[in-house]
Amino acid sequence: MKQAHCIYQDNEHRWLAIARDPSKPGYIIDTNEYVIVDGEEALLCDPGGIEIFPAVFSALSAECDPTKLAGIFASHQDPDIISSLALWLEFKPDLKCYTSWLWQSFLPHFGGTDSTFVPIPDPGMTIKVGGLELQAIPAHYLHSSGNHHLYDPKAKILFSGDVGAALLPPDQNGLYVEDFSRHIRHAEGFHKRWMGSDRAKRDWCERVSRLDIDMLVPQHGGIYRGADVQRFINWFAALEVGVLRG
Amino acid sequence: MNAPERNLKLSLRRTGELAGIVRVNEEIKAIVATAFRINLMALNAIFLAKRAGNAALGFGVLSNELRRFAQDLTRHMSSLRDMTSGSVGSVTGVVQQQRNSAILAEAIRQSGDGVPGVREARKRGATRLAEQQAKLRALDLRLRAAVEETQQLVELGGVLARSAKIEAAYGGGFSPALMQVSTDFAEVIAQIKRSLEVLGKERLVKD
Repeated sequence: MKQAHCIYQDNEHRWLAIARDPSKPGYIIDTNEYVIVDGEEALLCDPGGIEIFPAVFSALSAECDPTKLAGIFASHQDPDIISSLALWLEFKPDLKCYTSWLWQSFLPHFGGTDSTFVPIPDPGMTIKVGGLELQAIPAHYLHSSGNHHLYDPKAKILFSGDVGAALLPPDQNGLYVEDFSRHIRHAEGFHKRWMGSDRAKRDWCERVSRLDIDMLVPQHGGIYRGADVQRFINWFAALEVGVLRG
Repeated sequence: MNAPERNLKLSLRRTGELAGIVRVNEEIKAIVATAFRINLMALNAIFLAKRAGNAALGFGVLSNELRRFAQDLTRHMSSLRDMTSGSVGSVTGVVQQQRNSAILAEAIRQSGDGVPGVREARKRGATRLAEQQAKLRALDLRLRAAVEETQQLVELGGVLARSAKIEAAYGGGFSPALMQVSTDFAEVIAQIKRSLEVLGKERLVKD
């Protein structure tokens, strides 16, 4: 069963990570969902697929009042990111879904109406949650052609979608990256294959290096903390991407 | 049973209705093809009656009527087909709503009933499902009424085919050929009757 772990708290400002689901069948990729709460409002980042909705909903409800959910942030359009949209809307029909403008007419195939979607322009935008001003950071072509990450300058946390993702073996399922060198082996193949543009990657690394980040939280695998954040950015900058093998 | 298996089981409950619509569509297609055949047969019968002259005047009139019957039947089937196309949307709506409600119910079961907002969400879902089911039920009633109307039309076609058989007996030298045509009429109309019986038994909503 998935569980919500509080990874950051400052009074009413919290980040919850809903991660690791041992009861999930092996043929479905494991995903991390993140909830950003500030006072009476919450935002759910990459809520996941239809099949894991009950697990995510119950984990979220155990730690936070789900009626506080004001919006959903979808980093991109993949089914493991946002195919549960109709179910979240079933629970709360007035939810807003923030996603790249590119997917505005594609995501309604998963659910929602014209009023559900708030298109994020290519350069990104500010998303308000409670008293927070979160920044949607462009990450186009990493891996989706319309892709954003979400930065919380107060918590110094960057939700990085598929960037930083690792496909971990069952015996290495810790919430945080504890041994970078050991961990990154499980991220290498994924990044080489899924990140299609070297130019986009270098641009992202340069921009993100300038941000003050304590935690880089990806949609799959462990969370990078402290020095491991810059270690990851450096590793990614040097990695050859957009290749089938090698 | 894991979550995907549970979800699959829930969605399978409605696949019966979708399969029912497929069967209805297949029967409609079969009847439309047969109506086209009757139309051609009636045209041939009209020419044959003309060649037979005065001896087949009655047969000619009946062939014209059978041709009109085939055209009416095609129109009936086309409106039935429109209804079933609409029903695919309604059944799919019910399937989606049921699936969403069932997954949400599972989420609530795992979270406990005390979670704020769940009662309202359940109520909304149940209302939407009831609306969609009522829509489907109304469509089912209309479809059944339309099938009954078509059955009456086909009864008339049967009477025309029987009368054509009687008229064929007075066709003089053309009698064997006219008899063969009228027997063919009777056979295809019997075939349509059987298809309509199957259609009449199909239900878009299980009682």
